[in-house]
Amino acid sequence: MKVTAGSLESSDCFITISKSDTLVIDIESVVFEQFGDDILKVISDTLNSHKITKLHVLCQDKGALDYTVKSRLETAIKRMGENHE
Amino acid sequence: MSRSYLFIPGNTPNMIQNLDVFESDAVIIDFEDSVMSYDKDAARILIKNFLQKFHEQVGNIYIRINDVENSNFESDVNDTKDLHIAGYVLPKASVEAVNTLYKICNGLDIIPIIESPLALLESQKIAASKGVVGLLFGAEDFTKEMGIERTLEAKELLYPRSHIAVVCKAYNIEAIDTPYTAKDDETGLEQDAIAAKQLGFTAKALIHPNQVDAINRIFAPSPEEILQAKRIIKKSEESQKGAFSLDGKMIDLPIIEKAKKVLEKAQKYGL
Repeated sequence: MKVTAGSLESSDCFITISKSDTLVIDIESVVFEQFGDDILKVISDTLNSHKITKLHVLCQDKGALDYTVKSRLETAIKRMGENHE
Repeated sequence: MSRSYLFIPGNTPNMIQNLDVFESDAVIIDFEDSVMSYDKDAARILIKNFLQKFHEQVGNIYIRINDVENSNFESDVNDTKDLHIAGYVLPKASVEAVNTLYKICNGLDIIPIIESPLALLESQKIAASKGVVGLLFGAEDFTKEMGIERTLEAKELLYPRSHIAVVCKAYNIEAIDTPYTAKDDETGLEQDAIAAKQLGFTAKALIHPNQVDAINRIFAPSPEEILQAKRIIKKSEESQKGAFSLDGKMIDLPIIEKAKKVLEKAQKYGL
């Protein structure tokens, strides 16, 4: 089952999550070279704060700030019912 | 006291993160009509994270929550009431709805939207309800419920506008006029705002950032008003009388009080 949140509009990102046996994080971004590591850190920190160790996350970024990446991922997690807090 | 209340859709990061550059005195982040029902949860999470991160950079923030009958109402309030916001704008207002919100909103300001004939008739009781700091007129829904067409000339809005302005003045709360929806019609916007101010409205809601400058200018005291107010206060202090003459006109306490309010507004807006 895939769950999504966000959009492909400017300053937003589209997060797709699906169940996985491992943790897989894929990032597609027009600013990947400059901010790829930052996006990865936001996603990792957010997953850690929800105690999630197994999930496939696809982040299609359109220049989102960190609070937006975090928000869209949290929304997707909530929608999936995977919040282990 | 604000002159302009700019609506910003609650689920649009590119608008949310720029709200401090729009120069509106207040911003209304919208969880209601501009957010699709399937994305209400996303808007709440986005605004929570935004305000937790940027609360020091943003000023006078209100949230238009969903109405009390909507399944999102309680989550809208519970997920935001501890954030750095001034209060809530409540659609489909009634006395009962305002009281319901007041009980759960931690004493934050409430601005009910008067957008039905029944709410207009109840507006005095709504204005007197706990937590209410202003009334916002919602002309689109009001005209829809009346079964009448809303026109740019707005003659059909004269009665509800006048009623709301009088009620707000009587209860010493802000009277916030309905947005002008033709966002590219600058002349129409100015005429509409001047007409509202003339009826007693103290502010106007807006739907587009390009309307902010005109609204801030119109709802601020003009240089002529400020100069006259200064003259009245100066003469009042010099004469030490309850009533005196200035330029051949009698000046008494109500006019002196009005002059003080003009100077208070001018000071607030740095004029």
